[in-house]
Amino acid sequence: MALLSIKNLHATVGGKEILKGINLELGPGEIHAVMGPNGSGKSTLSYVLAGREGYDVAKGEIVFKDKNLLDLEADERANEGIFLAFQYPVEVPGVVGMTFLREAYNAKLRYSGHKEADAMEFLKFVRSRAKTLNMSDEMLKRAVNVGFSGGEKKRNEILQMAVLEPELAILDETDSGLDIDALKLVSEGVNKLRSENRSMLIITHYQRLLNYIQPDHVHVLAHGKIQRSGGKELALELEANGYAEFSGEAA
Amino acid sequence: MNIQQSSKLPFEELIAESFEGVTGDWHHELCKRGLQNYVDVGWPGAKNESWKYTNLNKLGSHSFSIAKDYSTAIPEDMIIPLDCPRLVLVNGVFNSELSDQKLLPEGIALTPLANLSDYQKTFFDDLRLGKEIKYALPLASLNTAMFSDALVLELAEGTELSSPIHIISIGSGSQITFAPRIVVNVGKGAKLDVIESHVGASSGMYFSNSVVQFNLQDGAKVGHYKLQNESNESFHISLTKVLIKERAFYDNFTISLGGILSRNEIQAHITGSGAECCVNGTYLGAGSQHIDNTTLIEHIAEGSCSREVFKGVLGDRARGVFQGKILVHPDAQKTDGYQMNRAMLLSDQAEINSKPELEIYADDVRCSHGATVGELEEEHIFYLRARGIDRERARRMLIGAYISDAIDEIRNTGIRSSIQGVAENWLKHNLYEKK
Ligand SMILES: Nc1ncnc2c1ncn2[C@@H]1O[C@H](COP(=O)(O)OP(=O)(O)O)[C@@H](O)[C@H]1O
Ligand SMILES: [Mg+2]
Repeated sequence: MALLSIKNLHATVGGKEILKGINLELGPGEIHAVMGPNGSGKSTLSYVLAGREGYDVAKGEIVFKDKNLLDLEADERANEGIFLAFQYPVEVPGVVGMTFLREAYNAKLRYSGHKEADAMEFLKFVRSRAKTLNMSDEMLKRAVNVGFSGGEKKRNEILQMAVLEPELAILDETDSGLDIDALKLVSEGVNKLRSENRSMLIITHYQRLLNYIQPDHVHVLAHGKIQRSGGKELALELEANGYAEFSGEAA
Repeated sequence: MNIQQSSKLPFEELIAESFEGVTGDWHHELCKRGLQNYVDVGWPGAKNESWKYTNLNKLGSHSFSIAKDYSTAIPEDMIIPLDCPRLVLVNGVFNSELSDQKLLPEGIALTPLANLSDYQKTFFDDLRLGKEIKYALPLASLNTAMFSDALVLELAEGTELSSPIHIISIGSGSQITFAPRIVVNVGKGAKLDVIESHVGASSGMYFSNSVVQFNLQDGAKVGHYKLQNESNESFHISLTKVLIKERAFYDNFTISLGGILSRNEIQAHITGSGAECCVNGTYLGAGSQHIDNTTLIEHIAEGSCSREVFKGVLGDRARGVFQGKILVHPDAQKTDGYQMNRAMLLSDQAEINSKPELEIYADDVRCSHGATVGELEEEHIFYLRARGIDRERARRMLIGAYISDAIDEIRNTGIRSSIQGVAENWLKHNLYEKK
């Protein structure tokens, strides 16, 4: 049975239809890559899944762990196990990184009827996770993403994912703006989190990231629809030929 | 010409009544001068630039009587919670029973109004910068005309106090007015932290019109932290007048969250080079509260610096006023001045008037100022929600973070966390759990 099932999804942003009938199924532990030209609706898909306001579903359904995802608020979806690593992580002045992680972690515990984590234990846990991503204590003491470089922001997203241990991780262009060292570090971080009960939807414009994180399936999104699906060799083909094939208005 | 020839000014009759309680020729003369200044300038109106955004009609037309009762209990849950010696004024009059003058450390002296030396009397000289109308301080003149007691504290040269002194002004009663007067003179190289809490003993409505003076002699280091937590329907008008001499350091923070209408006016005059002055604060308003912060930082001597950060959160129909002026004299070369006012409006009907002003007569200076007004950002809320934090909790985290960013300016860490607690408590009771 699929962990996530998207059927005939139509979504509008600001009254404009961006997603025009998406069908996608993710099994447990599977890694799917969604590739496509800029403006094709990749981030829109990620926001619709995460439950961002202003991204309205006009038609279709999304089922996650047998639940109608569209019935859930953004924070409920997160607590159900959906994690979106943002393409552009926002800076949150004044909210200390460590506090932010603890609030998020405890929110999930409360949601599932558990009591909140012991502060010291949690601190140790976060530190160990941060270490593998080469993130210093000092970064965790600072306000979330404030003054972070592009690469640091992306690493911070992966740290949050490592701490919250989602069942479905959506990585929106986590590779963009990273130099090769940062890309390796982030990919290693992601690969460590691969497991049979964690599925991933990896959104990317370039094939580069997929050298490090090998997907089970690759989909091409253009003009608001999945135009083609295949194995990881599809990514290589796109790398060679570009998106020219999908650039004209879709039929 | 005084436009109000025929009718008397607000409080004018009360001044005559308060004169009866004044003892001593010097105090009597001082009150008369205060009255004369007050009558000369008149009640602040729309024409008075400095009071443009804060309308005192309601205060002026209300009938008050002079406070006669000077005993009450300290409302412990309203003041900044800190364990240190307290000096308490009830309705503007020193209350020795509630005060810990016996615990005052060596080097600090408290002199009753009746026993002031000639030197100490000079602290009460006219507070105006000049005769021009723009320098008029009508409410401070009213304070001079009406104050019945004063708290005069002096810290001897070179004395460094490790524990703060807490000055508490309590308004007790209903429909009354009083005029707290506080002078703190800090000797050369001396060091002191003063906390000033303004609170109401009950929910009674009153008008507190205070004047607080700080004189920092050469090399003095003073932290001055004020909480304005007057009872809900009350009026709080205050002038804080600070003289900062050579290499002295003044760190000020005001948190305003009480009263129906309040004005926290600060005038800091840097007369010595190498001095540093921080005037910071936060203001929290809900319901129909009106909160005014008006500041003047005057750089008179060469090579001094000032820093000013105010941050406010306004909900419901609350209204904020921020007027901040940095004035740099021709001789004050190498001045470094920074000023910022930020306000967060949580409702469509909340409002802020912000008027930053630089007046610079020297050419080699570095001064900047700015103001921002914003709401909670949906982008921030969504980021927190995408991590499982619900909307209300996200909102609280972001508002709390906004305010603590201002409170972090306070240098004394113990006082900083106490004030943080006061702010959180206010947010909880006035914004979060009031629906
Ligand atoms: N907030 C918005 N308001 C209006 N149009 C938007 C908004 N966000 C995205 N779009 C439009 O939706 C389309 C898809 O954008 P997006 O999902 O960001 O694409 P991708 O991530 O594939 O580059 C683009 O045409 C973009 O201009
Ligand atoms: Mg995108």
